[in-house]
Amino acid sequence: MTWRIGVDIGGTFTDVALVDDTTGNIGVAKAPTTPSDFAQGVLTALSQAMERYSIKPKDVGLLSHATTVVTNAILEEKGSRAAVIMTRGFRDVLELRRSARPDLYDLFQDAPATLIPRRRRFEITERLSSDGSVITDLAQNEIDELIAVLKADRVEAVAVSLLFSFVNPSHERELGKKLSEALDVPIYLSSEVLPEIREFERTSTTAICAYVGPILASYLKRLEQATESLGLPRMYVMGSNGGVFEASEGVAMPAMAVESGPAAGVVAASLAARQAERPNLLTFDMGGTTAKASLIRDGVYETTPEYEVAGGASANRWMNGSGHPIRVPVIDLAEVSAGGGSIAWVDAAGGIRVGPKSAGAEPGPVCYGRGGTEPTVTDCNLILGNLDANSLLGGEMQINFAEAEAAINEKLAKPLGLTVEGAAAAVIDVVNHAMAEALKIVSVERGHDPRDFTLAAFGGAGPLHAAALAEELGMTEVICPPIPGAFSALGLVGSDLKRDYVRTVYLRSDLAEPQIIEAAYQEMEAEGAAMLDRAGMPPDRRQFERSLDARYARQSYELNVSASKEKFDAAALAEVSEAFHTRHKQTYGHDNRTEPVQIVSLRLSAIGKIPSLAIRQSPASSGDPIKGTRLMRGMNGPVLDRAKMPSGYTVEGPAAIESIESTISVPKGWQAGMDGDGFIRLLRLEEGQ
Amino acid sequence: MSSYIQDPATFEIVKNSLYKIAEEMRVVLAKTAYSPILKSAGDYSCGIFDCAGDMVAQGPDLPIHLGSMPDAVRAVVKAFDKDVHEGDVFIHNDPYFGGSHLPDVNIVRPAFYEGVHLGFACLRAHWPDIGSATPGSYGAVTEIYGEGLRLPPVRLYSKGELNQALEDVILANVRTPDERKGDLGSQLAATLRACDRLASLAEKYGSQRLIAYMAEVINYSDRLMRAALSELPDGEGYFEDFCDGDGIVDGPNGEDAPFWVRMKVTKSEDSIVVDFEGSDPQVPGPMNAALSVSASGVFCGLKTAIDPNSLIPPNSGCWRAITVKAPKGSVVNCEFPAPVVYSNHEMSHRTADMVMGALSQFMPDQVMACSQGTSAVLTLGGVDPRTGNRYVSYETIKGGFGARPNKDGINVIASGISNTMNTPVEVLEMAFPVRVEHYEIQPDSGGAGKFRGGNGARRRWRMLEGAAATGALCMERMTSPPFGLMGGDPGITASVTVTPPDGRAQTLPSKGAFSVPPGAIIDMTTPGSGGYGFAAERDRAAIGRDLLDGYLTEEAARKFYAIEDPEVLLKVAKEEDQ
Repeated sequence: MTWRIGVDIGGTFTDVALVDDTTGNIGVAKAPTTPSDFAQGVLTALSQAMERYSIKPKDVGLLSHATTVVTNAILEEKGSRAAVIMTRGFRDVLELRRSARPDLYDLFQDAPATLIPRRRRFEITERLSSDGSVITDLAQNEIDELIAVLKADRVEAVAVSLLFSFVNPSHERELGKKLSEALDVPIYLSSEVLPEIREFERTSTTAICAYVGPILASYLKRLEQATESLGLPRMYVMGSNGGVFEASEGVAMPAMAVESGPAAGVVAASLAARQAERPNLLTFDMGGTTAKASLIRDGVYETTPEYEVAGGASANRWMNGSGHPIRVPVIDLAEVSAGGGSIAWVDAAGGIRVGPKSAGAEPGPVCYGRGGTEPTVTDCNLILGNLDANSLLGGEMQINFAEAEAAINEKLAKPLGLTVEGAAAAVIDVVNHAMAEALKIVSVERGHDPRDFTLAAFGGAGPLHAAALAEELGMTEVICPPIPGAFSALGLVGSDLKRDYVRTVYLRSDLAEPQIIEAAYQEMEAEGAAMLDRAGMPPDRRQFERSLDARYARQSYELNVSASKEKFDAAALAEVSEAFHTRHKQTYGHDNRTEPVQIVSLRLSAIGKIPSLAIRQSPASSGDPIKGTRLMRGMNGPVLDRAKMPSGYTVEGPAAIESIESTISVPKGWQAGMDGDGFIRLLRLEEGQ
Repeated sequence: MSSYIQDPATFEIVKNSLYKIAEEMRVVLAKTAYSPILKSAGDYSCGIFDCAGDMVAQGPDLPIHLGSMPDAVRAVVKAFDKDVHEGDVFIHNDPYFGGSHLPDVNIVRPAFYEGVHLGFACLRAHWPDIGSATPGSYGAVTEIYGEGLRLPPVRLYSKGELNQALEDVILANVRTPDERKGDLGSQLAATLRACDRLASLAEKYGSQRLIAYMAEVINYSDRLMRAALSELPDGEGYFEDFCDGDGIVDGPNGEDAPFWVRMKVTKSEDSIVVDFEGSDPQVPGPMNAALSVSASGVFCGLKTAIDPNSLIPPNSGCWRAITVKAPKGSVVNCEFPAPVVYSNHEMSHRTADMVMGALSQFMPDQVMACSQGTSAVLTLGGVDPRTGNRYVSYETIKGGFGARPNKDGINVIASGISNTMNTPVEVLEMAFPVRVEHYEIQPDSGGAGKFRGGNGARRRWRMLEGAAATGALCMERMTSPPFGLMGGDPGITASVTVTPPDGRAQTLPSKGAFSVPPGAIIDMTTPGSGGYGFAAERDRAAIGRDLLDGYLTEEAARKFYAIEDPEVLLKVAKEEDQ
């Protein structure tokens, strides 16, 4: 018997999900997260899981985890004491940014944060031309003094980002080598981290590596000691691109670990897509403070090269200028500040608003009775009967219905001139709409019609809102996979080993020599193969995926198209040009077929395939799951216990299906059914049915 | 009671959808446009308008267009009255017909659902060239006829059919026409996207209901503005400030003569009146503003001060409580055929900053000191010796963002009516025959104060060998310093010099064309912003940190903050950093 174990280290809990490789049966365990030493919580949760399912260390075939260490270090500005070295005259690239301010009319806005303060931003004399030729040699005579200053300042990591190093990395490499010889700290070169045009974005990505690298390294080392002490295999890390990587790769490229946790959820959903034979899924992951949406097409999730860390609460659709851009592939997620804890309020003109403030875990919603006084989305769901006072939080906590009612009455119903139920319903409609917008960003805006997709709902609050969202978007099917609360952790053990490589080339499709492109791909494949060698990945499980970023020559933003042919030749060139025109038309509504296409960057993903995984939580064999009835938005309907629903059991809405970690809301006009693997499917009934 | 109060959820949903549509227009424009000023610098605005031309939702773009775009749509409404059909597209740029200046080209497209006219999408984009004698169309001329191609509101598409003759005329009058065609295509795509989205909303909610909600969204901002105004003290403030000049050398000593703008702000209960009585008459050069341009700056300043946390959705409803008056024929309300190209940003920057000065006299806790007060435009045009192709480069360089009553200003960031981005140096050098030799923060340029003004920037361009260029400059705050408030010092003024290979540097006036020989360098420093409060009250530790980061030099600490021993403050800051 072999087990795969995924560990998702969240803000409050460390969740463990286990899968038996032979049967697909799944298990869960959880322990409080221990922020001062994450390894503690991981050890507790792992020991608990291994004991509960009688697993011996030698039975564990794969161990993988998602971490918030990198994101938190950036959000809390608790990264390392890093320095950056720039071309002379360009010390301030990190602070000058792209010069736009995040909010047009905010009088009191702060300056955008800079991870490396000016006192640790240094310059060296050198200059390359835009074609990579040397205009000014690297000033050898300045290097010793630079090293002395860095030593005296006790810097813990150094980023080097010189102009046009993406065309010619020789100056960066030479300086990097001298620094490595003299300093016992990690050195990150922009030409290795991100050989791409645009100095601010490249410097920002490199600076993030230096800022979080030392922290990530010591964290991974500590974690490795911990798993070793249990006799477990080495632990993989989930990357923001949806693949996992080995610790040593992560230390070389820490920016890869930025959106580790959310990526896992999307990967888990892509597993579910395969298993449920629904290759086109919109995923909806809703927790206490945020909701996230992504799109899976033909069983594959999409990644985006544009991302801003700590960029505030706005949906991830456009740089808003307040965070730190990283240009590494990140799973394309749209995020909104809307969760169970989001606070509802009435503004000065009598408009109803939800969020962005959240009651969080402490004090939490009013009904938790832990001192919360502002009505939240959870309170409104309680009042409407979407959630039940007795089963919320598995009945472990006393729920205060009366206080929630009073808060909604005082803060919302009275100012709006509505009944308590009316106000609560308005809040739910508003929050559903905000989340539907997130789903639209990843679908409608990218040229996909949500009606061609099935909605996959998970996270503690996802299944509660899913059917209403589906209805708003005209979708007719929702799937609710098992263990919604720990579902993301399943993605960790179903991910392939993956590392992305990029080369900026700037070639026009009508002038390019295909063999130059082929050579660049082969060079990246050699790097990828070396990474897979280090991971001990056998040849038959290796895969290299080629794609490229292209645009019309005078545009500034690229679209990614696949370059799937085995060898890049003239025919492949024609094929990618055609694919680009099509994608441009699909995305923006027009194309310019008479113009040549400019190939900007070549991308390669080196993948080590992990054997595929089936997920299963055996449903009850027989019995009656109905445990009572209650009013839900004014209509009476049955309440079911999910654990007691046998395979093939169906129920028509209005109904609620409850489990310890989540409630599925089945509105009127919908039918819910349990399948053989423990997935619940909701179907919109035809009119009159 | 308003109808929406009975269904607050739908109101909130429709309102958010309308703002998302404006935002989506922005995404389509940026990702498909061809010229760097649009795709990299973001000099454009997107908006959704009702059938009368009032703005319902503004995208997160440029404050400068907030107040003046409704006039652009109204001009179309006025010119074509009921003769507006599905598939029509209108184009215009004339400041005497609701435009701002000739390079800002408006595309106005009506939205329909099942034959019902819902409203308009308008996208105003700054084209890097619209003809005239100077590449970039930023020459110092004395009539609008010299500023480039004028387009009154005209129909570019009729029921989906392109008016080819009109497009041919437009493209024949601009430099780099193939690039303009790409930009135009992206403006058309973005407005089409918006109209499709409006039609889907109508499909969902019903056309008449959507139209009613659009009106209500405007009312909603009006109510919020008035509620915010009612909370503020009544009062009256007066402010006057001079501009560097208009680009025409007509002063008594052979210089570009300055002129004055004067403003009185009267706030009473839930409304506010801004009167430009006493401002100088219109000037010969292109520093004359149409009233909607002067008002745009006023609106931007007032919105920031009255709604300092930026909670009120920006649309035409925000201005109902505000009246802007100016004498006809004055520099802030000019008459045909006065030239205007500089004033679009330079005068609206000025009026936005001056509003803060006037308001500080009765609500000093919700204002900011003067920001850089200029868009600092540099255009370069010629033939790229590397390719033999003609090019026009247009850049706006940022300076300081003004100090506030509770915090410092911000170094080198877009302020006031502007929010354009810089063009990455690597992108610039790939596209144009120039090399940037430095681009960095200019220490000591922010005005001293209890809260320090934001520092400006210094930037140097060098023309490549064999690349001669015609340059044009449009700046303010070279002689008129960005003012401080409540005892704060003014920021340091801007300067620009050109140094040919022979080393003889020449200082440029704030506006007008100049020639740049191959290998010459252009040096620009942008203005710092004003400080807030007395320098003597500044926290010593903050001075120490500024010294450590080099935002302030020891010499300036002695001079502007009367610090006798800056090295001690620096030492303390260093120890704190360890």
